[in-house]
Amino acid sequence: MFDLPVGDAFEFAINWLTDNLSGFFDLVTLVVDSFLVGIENLLLFPHPIIMIVLFSALAWYVSGKGVGIFTVLGLFVIEGMDMWDGTMETLALIITAVVIALLIGIPLGIWASKSKTVEKVVRPILDFMQTMPAFVYLIPAVLFFGLGQVPGVIATLIFAMPPAVRLTNLGIRQVPEEIREAALAFGSDSKQMLMKVELPVALPTILAGVNQTIMLALSMVVIAALIGAGGLGQPVVTGLQQLDIGLGFEGGLAIVILAVFLDRVTQSLGASTG
Amino acid sequence: MRTNNRIWNMLSKLGIFVLAFGLITACSQKSENETKTADLVYVNWAEGIAYTNLAKVVLEDKMDYEVEITSAGVGPAYTAVANGDSDAFMETWLPTLHADYVEQYKEDIVDLGTVYEGTQSGLVVPAYVEINKISELNAVRNQFNGEITGIDAGAGIMKTTNEVIEDYNLDYELIQSSGPAMTSALKKAYENQEPIVVTGWKPHWMFGSFDLKFLEQDEDMMKWKTGSIHIMGRKNLEEDKPELAAFLTNMHLTDAELADLMVQINESDMSEEEVAKEWLTNNEDVVADWIPEDEMQAGM
Repeated sequence: MFDLPVGDAFEFAINWLTDNLSGFFDLVTLVVDSFLVGIENLLLFPHPIIMIVLFSALAWYVSGKGVGIFTVLGLFVIEGMDMWDGTMETLALIITAVVIALLIGIPLGIWASKSKTVEKVVRPILDFMQTMPAFVYLIPAVLFFGLGQVPGVIATLIFAMPPAVRLTNLGIRQVPEEIREAALAFGSDSKQMLMKVELPVALPTILAGVNQTIMLALSMVVIAALIGAGGLGQPVVTGLQQLDIGLGFEGGLAIVILAVFLDRVTQSLGASTG
Repeated sequence: MRTNNRIWNMLSKLGIFVLAFGLITACSQKSENETKTADLVYVNWAEGIAYTNLAKVVLEDKMDYEVEITSAGVGPAYTAVANGDSDAFMETWLPTLHADYVEQYKEDIVDLGTVYEGTQSGLVVPAYVEINKISELNAVRNQFNGEITGIDAGAGIMKTTNEVIEDYNLDYELIQSSGPAMTSALKKAYENQEPIVVTGWKPHWMFGSFDLKFLEQDEDMMKWKTGSIHIMGRKNLEEDKPELAAFLTNMHLTDAELADLMVQINESDMSEEEVAKEWLTNNEDVVADWIPEDEMQAGM
């Protein structure tokens, strides 16, 4: 019937951005990379045993004995499978992606909760980010940020950010009107209203969003390995490409252990403040 | 309320800490630029993992380079080298498998010569299958269900296989899958001693694990030729890092050498890099003529 050159237009846009915004992308790369390397060094510098104790103590303190014991055992399994470095690399990547996603996502969610127009604009963009297959933005990510962990972080944060925005928005919109009125009656201004009333009341919902963001970030680990992000995705990809079932399984198992740890700990954070 | 204030307080402090931390590491990274660096990209294929790690240890131990090796998918790897972000992509199969990529990026990459010669691509069947030639496939169509198990849609071997199907008038359908899916299908069929025909290439671990054969092509319709694995550098690599370009150009492994390295990596519990290091100490003579002459004198 007729041809719409949608793909060509996208390619043109990507090429234009690559040619004209390289300085900006270099700056982003420098900042993200420094942040990431810092966290990675922090996680890898102490002996694994020390880190296992720290992680388990955190899990025990926040989520109770069961999760604490699981963390000890799980992390020893990871160390025993020789996946420690990969796990810490992946954890550093997830922390970086999630921190950036939250730094952008939570303010955006707050803004969306205050303005109908913003919500109307943001919602379809979030839908787009979540449903566009992640493979599609791997090549633009490589063009903008080269190979390695930085494009991995970018791809991950695009994929993982939507729940942080959505649930922040939802949480604030669900603050009961009576509480708002009471706060107004006590003479709070809009800043006090936000910081002392709305955010605290919405915190459990926001933390549920944080939890979702972390879990989505984790699900990008394997895909990010295709653009050189390393970490736990790499043994999975290697296992796939060489039909090395054992190696693939070990990588996958380490991801599961990390996922359960992160999920339980962040979930309990939400529950305990609720 | 107070706890929430504390959380915000903590978060903002954490933010400042992280920012400061980032700046410090960013500054310390700048000063490292003086050293010689190489940024090599490879794919998670057994042979590439083997010799890329070998290249890393030789560059580090013999030439004082700081080497970063990154594994990536083939598409992203070419993109990074063509874009100038990485120095070289270690594994280009020519004349067939990666011809499409080379054609697409020919203006932004330079061929640094072969690292291995004697690759082969084509239609592969288990040794227990009776036929030996592509032209015999139609006669046994029912055995194979009229299907050739292929790999990724974009791969060069898929395009060539479609041309072969046309040229030989094969009444077969080429099934798109992926490298891993193709090898799993092959493994399953092999274990059950069932007929299967796949798109295959060598060197590949599947030839070590299973007894396989390439179906012969007709003399007058040769689509697949034996080829070699090339290293592709980014444009300007020869001007920016002549030593590195010379090293990668010189780098070459024979079938026996590569097989030996791959087997040792397979059988060892150590990391690929450690095995490569060990292999290097036992095979100094192999790598001796990879190192550019200037570097040898400078090193002495």
